Amino acid sequence: MFSAFKKRGAFLALLFSFALVAAACAEDEPAATSTAAPATTAAAPTTAAPTTAAPTTAAPTTLPPPAPGREVAACQVSDTGGIDDASFNASAWAGAQRAEAELEGVSIAFLESTDAADYRPNIDAFIAEGCDVILTIGFLLANDTAAAAADNPNQLFAIVDQSPGPFPPWADADGNMLSDYANLRGLTFQTDEAAFLAGYMAAGASETGVVGTFGGLPIPPVTIFMDGFVRGVDYYNTVKDASVVALGYDVESGEGQFTNNFDSLDDGRSFAETLVNNGADIVLPVAGPVGLGSAALCQDTGACLIVGVDADWNATAAEFSDVILTSILKNIDISIFNTINNVLVLESLGNPFNGTLANGGVGLAALQDNADRVSSELAQEVADLNDAIVAAGSLAEFLASMADA
Amino acid sequence: MTAAATTPDAVIVRTPAEIKRSRYLGITYLFLAVVVLWFFARWSVDLGNFTFKLARPTDPSAPDLTLSAGRVTLIVGVILAAMGGVQLARGFGKMNNLVLAIGLFLFIFAFLGWATAQSSIGAFSMVGMMKTTIVRSVPITLGALAGVMSERVAVINIAIEGQLLGGAFVAVVVASPLTGGEDPTLILGSPIGGWIGVGAAVFAGMLLAWVLAVLSIRYVVDQIIVGVVITIFVTGMTSFLALRWLADNPELNKGPIFKSIGIPLLSDIPFLGPVLFDHNIFVFGSFILVAFLTFLLFRTRWGLRARAVGEHPKAADTLGVNVYRTRYLNVIIGGAVAGFGGAFFTLGSVGRFDENMTNGRGFIGLAAMIFGRWHPVGAMAAGLVFGFADAMSQTLGILQTGIPSEFLGMVPFIATILVVAGLVGKARPPAADGQPYIKQ
Repeated sequence: MFSAFKKRGAFLALLFSFALVAAACAEDEPAATSTAAPATTAAAPTTAAPTTAAPTTAAPTTLPPPAPGREVAACQVSDTGGIDDASFNASAWAGAQRAEAELEGVSIAFLESTDAADYRPNIDAFIAEGCDVILTIGFLLANDTAAAAADNPNQLFAIVDQSPGPFPPWADADGNMLSDYANLRGLTFQTDEAAFLAGYMAAGASETGVVGTFGGLPIPPVTIFMDGFVRGVDYYNTVKDASVVALGYDVESGEGQFTNNFDSLDDGRSFAETLVNNGADIVLPVAGPVGLGSAALCQDTGACLIVGVDADWNATAAEFSDVILTSILKNIDISIFNTINNVLVLESLGNPFNGTLANGGVGLAALQDNADRVSSELAQEVADLNDAIVAAGSLAEFLASMADA
Repeated sequence: MTAAATTPDAVIVRTPAEIKRSRYLGITYLFLAVVVLWFFARWSVDLGNFTFKLARPTDPSAPDLTLSAGRVTLIVGVILAAMGGVQLARGFGKMNNLVLAIGLFLFIFAFLGWATAQSSIGAFSMVGMMKTTIVRSVPITLGALAGVMSERVAVINIAIEGQLLGGAFVAVVVASPLTGGEDPTLILGSPIGGWIGVGAAVFAGMLLAWVLAVLSIRYVVDQIIVGVVITIFVTGMTSFLALRWLADNPELNKGPIFKSIGIPLLSDIPFLGPVLFDHNIFVFGSFILVAFLTFLLFRTRWGLRARAVGEHPKAADTLGVNVYRTRYLNVIIGGAVAGFGGAFFTLGSVGRFDENMTNGRGFIGLAAMIFGRWHPVGAMAAGLVFGFADAMSQTLGILQTGIPSEFLGMVPFIATILVVAGLVGKARPPAADGQPYIKQ
């Protein structure tokens, strides 16, 4: 019975090795340079200059020139969304690419993770390659990054979207992240500030009086968007005495619609369709590339507009710009560029980075194709709201001061 | 429930297994009745009315269904309790399955009514939820059909996921350059380039199925291993190409999306029209394929031979059926179905490819095939159950029941388990499933 198998063993071995090589190429090839970079992700949001991100760093505003001949290898490990996700990982990679282009002596590389089991092996592969700083993109890599940072105290790390994890020293009493990991820099973002503005704008721009949102996973960096968005709608209702409904997330319980993945674009279409069926005409998908499926629905049916997340979708998903109202910018690229710059010039990570409206780490993208949906009064109110939140110091303080008034 | 003791001598003699199953069903009804009365009815009393919207603004008009939550949950609870009592006392005989279906329907109706009444919105689009159910079932049904076709001739197809993903990729890559300009003429909802894309996806599915067939039939490699390898290969290959090729050539990743076609007259029926008769060609295609493959497998000579090959290849061979040719043909037909299903993800839904976008739907299809007892109609029914589970958890995410979403996501699956255990007796795969055939 197995003689046939033996005879054809070579053929089979060939097939197996082909499959494995192909899989390895796609998942684990570390040697990517900017030439292999996706063209669609090259356009970094240009809304904020890198210097605006400086206030929260230890770096002096005018950095000394780096030691001549100093080289830095910055290595990025993406989560399962993939580096070409047009949002989260792409934005980080754009920051790394800008660092390579603008800073002398910086080389960059990335590894994609196809599932959670890849995180630590990818990190270890970069440690073995001698990377100067390893950039892990996303909350989902937090545990593996922390463990790797603890195991390799001389290796520098930076992680996007870290919030206190299961390790006691990850946040001190004042809420300063990662203070006990001298070799690990947290890059966090107060995205709810920008999402608040987007929620206010969406509430004003909605024609049906219903807006909606859904998320990828119920994790803090996702729900912070939904939370801010729904609060923005509520604030609009309070100010305008209106009754715009925000579907898909409940601020009190933290429950809502979640696709439970960051891969399935078909989920993005279906979830958006459910929101549209229930009256929504503006949808905020907080699920990386899954949101492109929602944009496809809007383009296909003309029934809705999309609020993009992470990057300016008018640039990263330009084919959908006719259905994009605005985007909630989370300028991961700035934090990544800033980190690489610190490592190059200061030879250290600098202080934790916390992106806010005030320092340009988060913001609202410029209106483009659907600017006519936002009246000049509404645009002015959003701009004033932006100034008020910056003046108050944070969204929580702004809301508290409004509640007192 | 002491009625059992006073039951007069039964005319129909029931086997111990039937009595056991009847008892199990009766207890299930009573349990559901307790859930409805204790949890839903008690809370629903002060909640007032709920509204199921039976039409969206663009649909043929239908009145909203507005009912009192307290009354509905109370009535449903009492009916379920009565059903449990009758089931324990004497059973429903031949009506068992029908009664179970009605019981589950009532339970879900009461649950949704309660969930809607307690939410701040107080209404949701029932027509939207049913439409979503159908659309979401399509890739699962098509994946399950691919499995049915090949397992009916005793070749296990674990590669469905890979075939779906391969079809999705090839469809958009072929269709995109062919539909670059604005093409005004639509054939059944798509420019001709879209149809060529679908054809290419079907071909890709057949090619992957051919690899599975050659390795498992001719070279007698373990079928599970071949299937897994094909899936890994396609996942890796498409991710690689998406990253290194499509990302640099976005014009290759902008396919047409097949438009919905409303069937004349039928799509104007209130509620049922938009739910059943206003879809794109992939949805209608899956309906047609289910009917066609059922006919092929169970009403033709060819189908009888194919099933004989799956049950007892040696006997079939002895009677002059070409076992190898039948297996090749069926596996490749299955691949064609899966390739068509793969095209749904890109051309039927979002118009672009992203790595791993099928997200395990092929494996759910595999489960649907088993749940559907290796029958095309069963596969579709199972696909609809999974589609409904999906649609309902989306709706519950909007309604905000205050119960953790993880738990609510489980409810449809609990119902599924009840259906499988209660409705579907013993599922039996084709007798020779997974066994290679070596001609003596």
